[in-house]
Amino acid sequence: MNSERWIERELAKLNAHLPMKRISLSEALKSKKPQVVGRNGSVHEFERDELELLASILPESEWDSLFLPILVSFDPKLGRGTAKITGEVEAKVVSQLLGKKCAGGELLVYLPEIASLRRKLPTVTQYFFMV
Amino acid sequence: MAAPMAISPTRMELIKLRRRISLAQRGHDLLTEKMDALIIEFFEVLKRVKQARTNALRQLSAAHRALSVCLAVVGTIETQQASREARREIQLDASTRYIMGIMTPALRIERVERTVLERGYSIHFTSSALDDAAREFEKTLELLVELAELEESARAIARELEKTKRRANALEYIIIPRLEATIKFITMRLGEMERENFSRLKRIKAMLEARI
Amino acid sequence: MSYKIAVIGDADTVTGFALAGVRHTHIHVSKEETLSKLKSFLMEKDMGLLLITHRTIDDLGEEFKLLMRAKGVLPVVLAIPDKTGYVPAVDELYELIKRAVGARVTEKVGGG
Repeated sequence: MNSERWIERELAKLNAHLPMKRISLSEALKSKKPQVVGRNGSVHEFERDELELLASILPESEWDSLFLPILVSFDPKLGRGTAKITGEVEAKVVSQLLGKKCAGGELLVYLPEIASLRRKLPTVTQYFFMV
Repeated sequence: MAAPMAISPTRMELIKLRRRISLAQRGHDLLTEKMDALIIEFFEVLKRVKQARTNALRQLSAAHRALSVCLAVVGTIETQQASREARREIQLDASTRYIMGIMTPALRIERVERTVLERGYSIHFTSSALDDAAREFEKTLELLVELAELEESARAIARELEKTKRRANALEYIIIPRLEATIKFITMRLGEMERENFSRLKRIKAMLEARI
Repeated sequence: MSYKIAVIGDADTVTGFALAGVRHTHIHVSKEETLSKLKSFLMEKDMGLLLITHRTIDDLGEEFKLLMRAKGVLPVVLAIPDKTGYVPAVDELYELIKRAVGARVTEKVGGG
């Protein structure tokens, strides 16, 4: 029995959709077709409505420091059903959207909040699994 | 209790097994998180399917009503003839989109509603009843395209969810217990071997001492 | 890239969608004929969407399910009611939810 190979393959697949390089909100707003390219070559487009929502929350001076997609990072260390929003500006935006206090540079979110976040920002957020 | 694997009981194997079990455990935890995320996505799509279905089916029955009026006013044969004469073909813009690495379709109609001229029926068939029916079916088509995309996405996510669940269960109920059983077996064997070794040493020592 | 739309069903359904500009149509009469037409629609490279009435699907039976399992992402096949509004008692999507999530779902998808 060699279970290692398929477990490792499954783990590698978890993040295959993530972009090789993220783009800032200001870049995305300027672009005619705002998108990122995933590690597996897939193209992921951002909806303009969502970009504008982010721009309305965030002062223009911070548009360069918000990177998209915003990552919702699952880490088994945090316990089941808990994810982390990393990045100071990212955490700030999400905490405002969810009406949640944000302490320091990161934010913990739980399943119902993740569902609500995904509903509000389906294209500019993506899941990330801490392998 | 799972049966242990056929592995020689050495400390080296024990270390390897502990590494394997921690990988399996981590794999299981991550697949469980993936399932949670998939369930969120699944229900989100389902909610939209439900809304899209209601809209599309309501519009479809409106279209059928308009068509029955048309069949009555214009005539069945004439309507069918007109439907075959429609000049411009409706085209679809199709691509694929990824939701968490799952390939889903993205469909969009290339502008549905047309002007009377673009519909292109012979002029003697042109009637407002015919035009109404055509317009209602065009609207329906637009809503059905949206519904088709959502239903297919729901199906794709459900398939991935099933697969993930199967893998997480295999880890939890088969692979991890088997690794645990093997570790237990080897630990026991190593203990036994140590005790055997110890008593052998004691015997040797006693023999040596007796000789003096 | 541009894709085609096809429709399979009763005469009224086909006429209606043909008026909307769907050029690839088949009026369902016999099972054999419809199955072979369905297969050829599914095989066309630039087919994007296939509409088919629930009543036709019922007539095609197990063979329809096999064809669905074998096809790729495109064309998407969408089941629709005919003018009588007929939908089967068992909602395929609901069955899917039960299999995928299990007892956690009690609400029906509904709509039809």
